[in-house]
Amino acid sequence: MIPGLVQILLWQGAGELASHFLLPSIPGPVLGLVFLLVFLNLRGRVPENLALVSDTFSQHLGLLFVPAATGVILFLPQLREHAWAVVLALLGSVLLTVAVTALVLKGLSRKATHE
Amino acid sequence: MSRPLPIHEIWVYLSGSPLLALILTLTAYQIGFYLYMRSNRNPLANPVAIAVVIVAVSLELLDMPYAKYFEGAQFVHFLLGTATVSLAVPIYRGFRELRGRMGPLLLALMSGGLVSIVSAVGIARSLGADHAIIGAMVSKSVTAPIAMGVAERLGYSPTLTAVFAVITGILGAVLARYVLDALGIKDWWQRGFAIGVAAHGIGTSRAFSIHPEAGTYASLAMGLHGILGAVAIPLVAGYIPLF
Repeated sequence: MIPGLVQILLWQGAGELASHFLLPSIPGPVLGLVFLLVFLNLRGRVPENLALVSDTFSQHLGLLFVPAATGVILFLPQLREHAWAVVLALLGSVLLTVAVTALVLKGLSRKATHE
Repeated sequence: MSRPLPIHEIWVYLSGSPLLALILTLTAYQIGFYLYMRSNRNPLANPVAIAVVIVAVSLELLDMPYAKYFEGAQFVHFLLGTATVSLAVPIYRGFRELRGRMGPLLLALMSGGLVSIVSAVGIARSLGADHAIIGAMVSKSVTAPIAMGVAERLGYSPTLTAVFAVITGILGAVLARYVLDALGIKDWWQRGFAIGVAAHGIGTSRAFSIHPEAGTYASLAMGLHGILGAVAIPLVAGYIPLF
């Protein structure tokens, strides 16, 4: 597990450096993700110790945003005041997103099978 | 002969170290995860939502300010970046399996991603929400660790973004099937991909629990939306009239 974690931390470090010096609009960890993706593509497979760390993180990704999400207690009065706007925006947006994504996929793949 | 420590001395010691915040965070998540498994992975019993409620109530009872809690919990928070990097592995696995369908998938992703932003911002703005709320709507359909990083760079609240992302995930995981049934979408890969674009990680685990093919495509959609969001949202944000 430790070799995998070391690799991921190094890619994260590379991403942070690239973000700081080259592409300040993109967060460092995302650049680290892209670097690792390129590396995996060149390598042609996922090393076992890397897969182990990644699967552990994916399974409990939610734990990592508990500290930040708890900050919602500082926004409660504001959220209460705009409760309807928040609820309807989130609801409307997720329904429309599912619908549009699925319809575009369906339309494009139908065209592809007809050709 | 050691005299017993007075309880408040123990308390002062504990609350001064990161230990208390870490115990609180991990225990709350453990309880949330246990309830989630007990409910047969029902998206309504979302472990993050349960954990946030438990931590928030505990802070209230302990009379502990949020800033003080975060000082200790930042060690968990820090790992978000590391976890973001490790998302490369599931994306790579998805890429390898699905090379042939990449064109339609990318077009669907871009349309879905744009709709998620425009509709959320549009509805929130027309109903008179304030700046902080509208700003946090922008990246809420992207997987939370990336969404928070993007929000931070753009000067929006990462906290509200995380909260909206979790609620979006729960809503999508619960409601997507009704939309997909109504539209007559039958193929598992199309259903999974649409859920992944709209409801990131929470939708993805829901998709996996329904059908493996839907899960694979949902997880690919979540990963691609994460990368696209991180690259495109900072570029697009300047052109969307937020306020």
